Amino acid sequence: MANDADYALSDLHIKIIKFFHENQSSIDTPRGVSTWVREERSKVSKALEDLVKLKILSVHRATSTTGYSYTRDPKIISKIEKLLKKK
Amino acid sequence: MKDEITDSEYQQELFDRLRRSSSLKKEEECFGACLKSALWWLIEEPHPSSASIKKIVLSTCPFLKKSGSGKDSNCVGMLADVVKEAELERKIINFECIEGLRGFIYPISQGDKLYGYIGACYTKKDISSELMNVFAAYTDTIVTEIQKELELSKLYETVRPRAIALSTVHTVHRLIGSTLDINELLPRVARLSLQVIRANRCSIKLVDSTKKLLLPKVTVDLRETKSKLKKVRIGRWSPGKAAKFGRPIRDKDYLATPLIDEDVIGVITLYDKIDGKPFTQFDQEIMSTLAEQAVIAIKNAHLYKEQEKLTFGMIKSLAAIVSTRTSGQYIPRASFLRITTLLSQKLHLSGYELKSIEYAILLHDAGQLIVPEEVLKKPTKLTEKQYSLVKEHPIIGAEILKPIKALRTIIPIILHHHENYDGTGYPKGLKKDQIPLGARIMAVVSAFEAMITKRPYRTPKSINAAIDEIRKGSGSQFDPRVVQAFLEVVRRKDITDMLARERYGK
Repeated sequence: MANDADYALSDLHIKIIKFFHENQSSIDTPRGVSTWVREERSKVSKALEDLVKLKILSVHRATSTTGYSYTRDPKIISKIEKLLKKK
Repeated sequence: MKDEITDSEYQQELFDRLRRSSSLKKEEECFGACLKSALWWLIEEPHPSSASIKKIVLSTCPFLKKSGSGKDSNCVGMLADVVKEAELERKIINFECIEGLRGFIYPISQGDKLYGYIGACYTKKDISSELMNVFAAYTDTIVTEIQKELELSKLYETVRPRAIALSTVHTVHRLIGSTLDINELLPRVARLSLQVIRANRCSIKLVDSTKKLLLPKVTVDLRETKSKLKKVRIGRWSPGKAAKFGRPIRDKDYLATPLIDEDVIGVITLYDKIDGKPFTQFDQEIMSTLAEQAVIAIKNAHLYKEQEKLTFGMIKSLAAIVSTRTSGQYIPRASFLRITTLLSQKLHLSGYELKSIEYAILLHDAGQLIVPEEVLKKPTKLTEKQYSLVKEHPIIGAEILKPIKALRTIIPIILHHHENYDGTGYPKGLKKDQIPLGARIMAVVSAFEAMITKRPYRTPKSINAAIDEIRKGSGSQFDPRVVQAFLEVVRRKDITDMLARERYGK
C-alpha cells in the first residue's frame, strides 16, 4: 500500500477492502460496490478513488462506465490480510 | 463456491444459534420462575448415546455431582428411555428422577426431521399440562424462527457470490462494449480477463483470412516479462486446438477459450494463475461468458471500421470533387491534419470528436462549389456582392452534407468554422462557447493554413508571421484556449520539420 500512513482508513474503506479481498475476481462499478457494502453511492465512489490512490484497487475507465477491481500485488494482498485479521 | 451445507453442519449451526438465542434465555427465565430451581439442558443430537446423556446430566445435576455414586447410571438409563419415548412420540415427555426431581424432555424437530432435545429438571411438582403445552409452543416458535434465519443465511450465502459474479460479468460487458476501436478493445479484453481469472498472461489471437493461422493481436503479461507475439497454426498448441475444435482447452497452467461467432474468429488464452493454482471449471465458464461478450464487441468494432472506411472513401471522393473545382488549393496537407490531431488531443477531445474534425477538415470548404471560379481565383479585392457569396459557403457546405447521415457530426464544425470568438464572424455571429469546440479548433488551424499558403489574390505570410497573427487574434477572432494549445503544438520540432518539408510559406 502506497503511503498508507498518510491515509486514515475509515470503516467504509475497510468494508470495501473486505469486499474485494473476499471477492478477488470481482470488477464492479461504484453502484455495484455500494450495493454489496450497503453504503451510499457517492461516499463509495470517493472511497473507491482513495483506494485506487493507495493501489489497493485498480481502475478500468471507459466512456460509459468505470469498473474497480482488486490489486494483484501479493505484498499488498498480504498486508491487507493482516489488516483485516486485526479488525 | 460452496453450495450445500451438510445435515451435521446445519444441526451444529442450529444449536449454536439456539444456545445464543435471547428468546430461549427469556423462555428459560420465564418458565424457570414457574418451575423453581430448573436446570436446563440441550441434547444436540437426534439419537443420543448413553455416554452423551451421561455427560450432560453429570455436568448439570447437583445431586449426581455430589454423590459420585452409582446413581448416575440409573439416572442416565431412565433419561435414555425418556428420550427414546420423546423421539417416538414427538411430544413433551414428563419424568421423575431417582432423586425425586421432576423433569421433561421436548424434541426439537422440523417436519420429520429430528435435531435434538431440550429438557429441564426442577423441584416443583404438579406442573399443569397447559403450562407444558405453552412451553412446547413457545419452544417451537423459537426453533422455527432460528430455522428461518438459517434458511435465509443459507440462501444469502448461495445467492450472493452468484450475484457478485453476475455483476462482474455485467460490468465487464459495459467496459468492453464502450469502445468500437479494435486497437483499444483487444488490450481491454485481455486486461479484464486477467483480472477476472487472476492470471498472469493473456494472449488474444484472431483467425487470418486463409483460416489456417491464428495471428497474434495482443499479449498482456503482468509479470512484465517480454513475450513474443507468435503466429499459431490452427490445430497446434492450446490456442490452435481451441480454434480447431471450437471448445475451451484447459490444463493446470493454461486456459484457451475460442471466440465463436458463426465460426471461430479467434482465441483468448490465459496462462499461469497468480496463486499458482490450476485453472478450474468455474474459470472456464466465466471465460466462455466473457468470450461471448468479446465476440460481439469485436464484431461491432469490425463493422464500425468497415463503415468508417466507407465514410472516409466517400469523404475523399467529395473532397476530390471540391478540389477539381478549386484547383486543389484547398486540399489540406499532412501537417495541417497533424496539427489538428495534436490540438484535439491537447484539448482532450475524444477519438470520436477527433474523427469528426478530421472529416470536417477535408470538407470544410465544400460550400465553395457554388462560388464562381472567377471569384475564387480573383487576384484583387472582392466586391461586396462577391464577398457575400463567399460568406455563404459554410451554410451551403452544411446543406450539401446534410443528407448524409454518417456526416451529421461534422456539419456544426463546417457551418461555424468562420465564426469569431467575439461574435463578429459568420454565418450566425455566434460567440465564445456558443461556437462548437471543433469549429473553434478548425478556425485557428484553417486560418493558419490560409495565411501560409499561396493564393491567387495574395502572397503567403511566413510561418512566424502567421503564428503572430494567430496570437494577436486570441480572444477576438479565436478562442484563447485553442490559441494557447496551438502555440504549443506548432512549435514542436516534428511540426516545424513537416511544415518545412511541405514548403509552406514558400
